[in-house]
Amino acid sequence: MDDYAIGVLTNIALFSFIALSAYLLLIAGEMSFGQQAFFGVGAYAGGILTTLYAWPLPLAALAAMALGAVAQFLVALPTLRLRGLHFAMATLAAAEMARILFELMHWRREIDGELAGPDGTQGFRGIRWIFEHGIEPLHYLGIVGVLLALVLALFLMIERSKLGATLRGVGLDPELAASVGIDVQRIKLGVAAAAGALAALGGVLYAHHNTYIEPRNFDIMLGVHSLAYALIGGLGTAFGPLLGVLLDIGTLESTRVFHGYRMIVFGGLVALVLVYRPRGLLDERTVQWLRQRFS
Amino acid sequence: MIADLVQNTLDGLSAGATYALLALGFTLIFGVLRRANLSFGPAIMFGCYAATWTHVNFGAGLLLLALITVSGAVLAGAYVERLCFAPHRGGSAIAAMVASFALWMQFEELATLIMPRHLYAFPLLYEGDPLALGPFTLRIDALAMLGAALAACLALWWTLYRTRFGLAVRALIEQPAAAALAGINVPWVFVRVFALASAIGGVAGYLVVASHGQITPMLGMWATLKGLLAMMLGGLGSLPGAVIGGLALGLIEAHTQWYLGPQMRDLIAYLLLFVLLAARVPWMTTRSAS
Repeated sequence: MDDYAIGVLTNIALFSFIALSAYLLLIAGEMSFGQQAFFGVGAYAGGILTTLYAWPLPLAALAAMALGAVAQFLVALPTLRLRGLHFAMATLAAAEMARILFELMHWRREIDGELAGPDGTQGFRGIRWIFEHGIEPLHYLGIVGVLLALVLALFLMIERSKLGATLRGVGLDPELAASVGIDVQRIKLGVAAAAGALAALGGVLYAHHNTYIEPRNFDIMLGVHSLAYALIGGLGTAFGPLLGVLLDIGTLESTRVFHGYRMIVFGGLVALVLVYRPRGLLDERTVQWLRQRFS
Repeated sequence: MIADLVQNTLDGLSAGATYALLALGFTLIFGVLRRANLSFGPAIMFGCYAATWTHVNFGAGLLLLALITVSGAVLAGAYVERLCFAPHRGGSAIAAMVASFALWMQFEELATLIMPRHLYAFPLLYEGDPLALGPFTLRIDALAMLGAALAACLALWWTLYRTRFGLAVRALIEQPAAAALAGINVPWVFVRVFALASAIGGVAGYLVVASHGQITPMLGMWATLKGLLAMMLGGLGSLPGAVIGGLALGLIEAHTQWYLGPQMRDLIAYLLLFVLLAARVPWMTTRSAS
C-alpha cells in the first residue's frame, strides 16, 4: 500500500471514533453539536502527556479517555433535562468555550533544547511519539484499526444485549422508558461519559497521527460532520457511522474524480439520500431485513 | 470612562441590530417549521458572493448590490427549502437539519470555486470621516446599519401583524394543528416564510459586508452561529425575543470586547448561553424544540 492510501484509511478510522460517539448519543435520543470538544480534549491531553511529560502513548490515551469522559459527564450533568435544539445548542456552547480555551492555552516547556507544547492559536507542534518509537504508518494504521474493531465489537455486543434495548427505548420515548422503571437520567449520564471517552480516544490517536493540532481543528464543522456521518450511514447499526465516514473521506477523497467539487457532490448526495432514507442508509428496517436474510 | 461606556453601547446597538435581523430570520423558520436551518447563514453568504461577483466583474451601485444580495439569499433559501425542509415536513427534524448542513458545505465550496481568493473587497456603505459629537464619534455606516435594521424590523412587524399572511404565520407558530384545520395553506405559507426569512437575512448580510468592506467564506458560519446564539438568548421561536436577544448579544459583545478582548468576548457569550440553558430560564424553555 502506498503512503497516500494508508493516510486515507487512517483518517477514515480516526474520524469513525467521533462519528461513533455522535451515533451513541443519537441512539439514546440526544443530538450533540459538540463532540469536537471531547475529540479536542483527547488530542490536547494526549499530546501534552506524551510530548511534555514523556508518558507512553497507551497510558496517555487512557488518561485522555478518562478526561474526555469526565468532561462530557460534567457538560451533561446540568443539561440533562434539555431536549432537541436546546441540548444541541448547550453542547455547541460548551464546545466553542473549549475551542476558545485551547486558543488561550499556552503551556510550553523546553524539550531537547526546543520549546514544545500548546501555543494558543499558533497550534501545538511536534507530537512525535510514534516517530520517536519507530512506529511505521502502516503499523499505526494497524493499531488504530484494531482499536476501532474492539470498539465496534463492544457496540455490537451492547446492541444485542438488554442494555442496547434500554438505550434505544430511552432514545425513542424517555417518558415510556421511565414508566417501566428505567433510570433515564443515569442511562443518559452513562451514555454521555462513554461518548466523551470515545471521542477523546479518537482525538489522542488523531493528534499522534497528525503530529500537529490547532484549535481550529475542533470547531463546529467537525462536530456537525460527525453528526452527519452517523445519520447518513444509518442509525440501525454501529456499522452505520463507519459507512458514513467511508462514503465521505473514502470514496470522494480517494477517487479524486470530483476534485474541487467534492463537497458540492457529497452535500447534494447527503440531502437526497436523507429525502428517501431519513434515518440513513443502514436504518433499523434495513438492518432487520439484512439480519433475517443472513441468519 | 462614561464616554467609553456610551460609545460601546452605541457600537453594541448597531451590531446588535444586525444580530436581531439574523435572529428574526432564524426564528421565523424555526417558529413555523420547528426545525433549525443550519444553511441560513450560508444562503446569505451565497447572496453576498453573488453581489461581490457582480461588483468585481461589472461594477455596480450600492442599491443594485443590495438588491442582488437579497435576491441571491432568497434564491438560495428556496433551494434549501425544496431540498431539506419540504421533503421532511412532519418527518425527522434531525434529518432536515443534517440535510441543511450538507447544503452548507455546497454553498461554501461554490463560493470558493467562483471566487477563489480568501478575501474580496466590498464597496463600503460610507467612506467619509465619522461624525464627531463632543467626546463621541458616530460612524455614519453604523448609523445607517441601525436605521436599515430598524426599517427592516418595522417592515417585518407590519407584514406579520397587519397582513393576512402574517396572521397565518403567527397562527402556525402558536397553534400549528388548529391553523391547518382553519384552512391555512400550510405548504404555501412555509415557502413564503422561507423567502421572507432569507430576505431579512440578506439585508443583514449586506449590512455586515458593506460596513466591513470585505467578504470571506467564513461569513456563512458566522451568520449561522450569531443568528442561533441571538435566537436562543431571546427565547426559541419568539419574534420580540429575537430582537431583544440580538440587541442583548450586540451589547454584551461590545462591552466585553472593550474590556476583555475578542476571545473573552466570544467565551462570555457562549458561557452566558450555556448557563441560561442549564438554568432553564423560563423564557428560553417554554417552547419545545424537536
